[in-house]
Amino acid sequence: MTPQIWVFLGYFAVVFGIGWYSLRATRNETDYWIAGGELGWFTGGATMAATHTSAGTFVGTIGVMYTVGWSFGWVLLSIPLAYWFMVAVLAPRFTRQKELTIPAFIETRYYGKGIRGLAGAIILIATVVYIQAQIVAGGLIANTVFGIPTTWGMIGFTAILLVYTVVGGMVAVVYTDAFQLVVMGLGAVFAVPLALRQVDGLGGLLTLVESAHPLVFTWETMPATLLFTMGLSFFLGGVATPEKLIRLYAMKDMRTIRRGVLFSIVMILGINLLVFILALSAIVLFPSLSTGDLAMPMVATAVLPATLGSIMLAAITAAMMSTVDSLLIVAGSALSVDIYQNLLDPEASPRRRMWVDRLGIVVVGATPVVLLLSGVGEGDLVQFIVLLFTALMAAAFVLPVVGGVFWRRATQEGAASAMVGGVAATFAWEAWGATTVEPVLCGFLVSAALFVGVSLLTPPPPASALAPYFESSMSRDSA
Amino acid sequence: MNGPGFTFWGLFLACALLLVGYVTWMIRAERDE
Repeated sequence: MTPQIWVFLGYFAVVFGIGWYSLRATRNETDYWIAGGELGWFTGGATMAATHTSAGTFVGTIGVMYTVGWSFGWVLLSIPLAYWFMVAVLAPRFTRQKELTIPAFIETRYYGKGIRGLAGAIILIATVVYIQAQIVAGGLIANTVFGIPTTWGMIGFTAILLVYTVVGGMVAVVYTDAFQLVVMGLGAVFAVPLALRQVDGLGGLLTLVESAHPLVFTWETMPATLLFTMGLSFFLGGVATPEKLIRLYAMKDMRTIRRGVLFSIVMILGINLLVFILALSAIVLFPSLSTGDLAMPMVATAVLPATLGSIMLAAITAAMMSTVDSLLIVAGSALSVDIYQNLLDPEASPRRRMWVDRLGIVVVGATPVVLLLSGVGEGDLVQFIVLLFTALMAAAFVLPVVGGVFWRRATQEGAASAMVGGVAATFAWEAWGATTVEPVLCGFLVSAALFVGVSLLTPPPPASALAPYFESSMSRDSA
Repeated sequence: MNGPGFTFWGLFLACALLLVGYVTWMIRAERDE
């Protein structure tokens, strides 16, 4: 057995151990979906950072930066800005009434089971695509570490993820995320000095990288409009992707949320900046890779000594798994709570509901692998799939969520058309629009226009829908 | 001409400024509670 396999076996053992512990800590649906709503700043912040940091960061970001250069790195600034907005502006109102899922919030604020099912369906479809991109990255890692075919790697990772997520729900996800964040941090912190040693330090790197890729520090490789709209996509996605929003419900109170998000921002910025340096090293050390997605596995296997290299690969695995487990929770809850139990079986007993919850996660976890095995969705750069997912979520949910807690006049019809129109416009732009502008811009503008226009054309919402989010709305409306 | 100067170091500077801004805001928010 090589050191690589030992590192991975130890890593999986810890993950399974946490899953087992979480099964005992999960007594009801609130524990299963939002960890009881009692997370502290460390676990809450860690799970946010780990969920944000995906294979997109370790494989995709390096891939894009390897190809287009440093200017792409500036998109990173949109993340702390988005989280700051989320905590300072959205969270104080949004968390006044805690729900188990984001579509459940949609039902409360927009007074309808149908619109909740619609939100669940959008989340479900988009999330399955996102999971698929991450699983593809997992397959590449398994191929590098264990030498097994990527298909078996994808199946293996899916099985591991499903075991602990199905068993322990959000509690398992949160604690494994905290552990995986540590693995990611260690991977990045160890890898950078070793990579820098191969290129004569940071000064040497900056000189060498410009001779290998003359445009690396210019703004020419990526049009400004694309860079700006990518940033917008990450900003809006950061504000309103369901796997981020649900963590606001999972944390204890506003004070905890503010501190947790600070911790999360520090970790995200730190890990990303270190990863960016690795991307520059990859340009120097491996100037002619067939695809940018190979840059990170190459650094891990060819630059680092065997044990550290396997910690780096474990870090990539941790990034992938800690994102997919959170997405499984979001998609599983959309399927079993917001679609099945909400629309088809509202009378189910608590025991039956817990079974359906777990079955939902199995179904959404197995679907991407089945799709990949039948040849759907292979071969795209991971980071661009991440961007499309973020754009879809942003176009569908920013207005209904943020507008919903700030604009009393927002109606069910307005929110529903904003969701459907936003998703349709995003897809339309992706298919036919200019490639120099991210589809999120079109999707968001269409969503905003429909949200405002349709809301104003339809009767105002009932007072009961506004009561949880607007101070003294009951007294004002009844006066 | 961009060069490695601002394009590279500017990103680190911007991250640091954002962190300082967030912490300042957080301290004030906790004090006001």
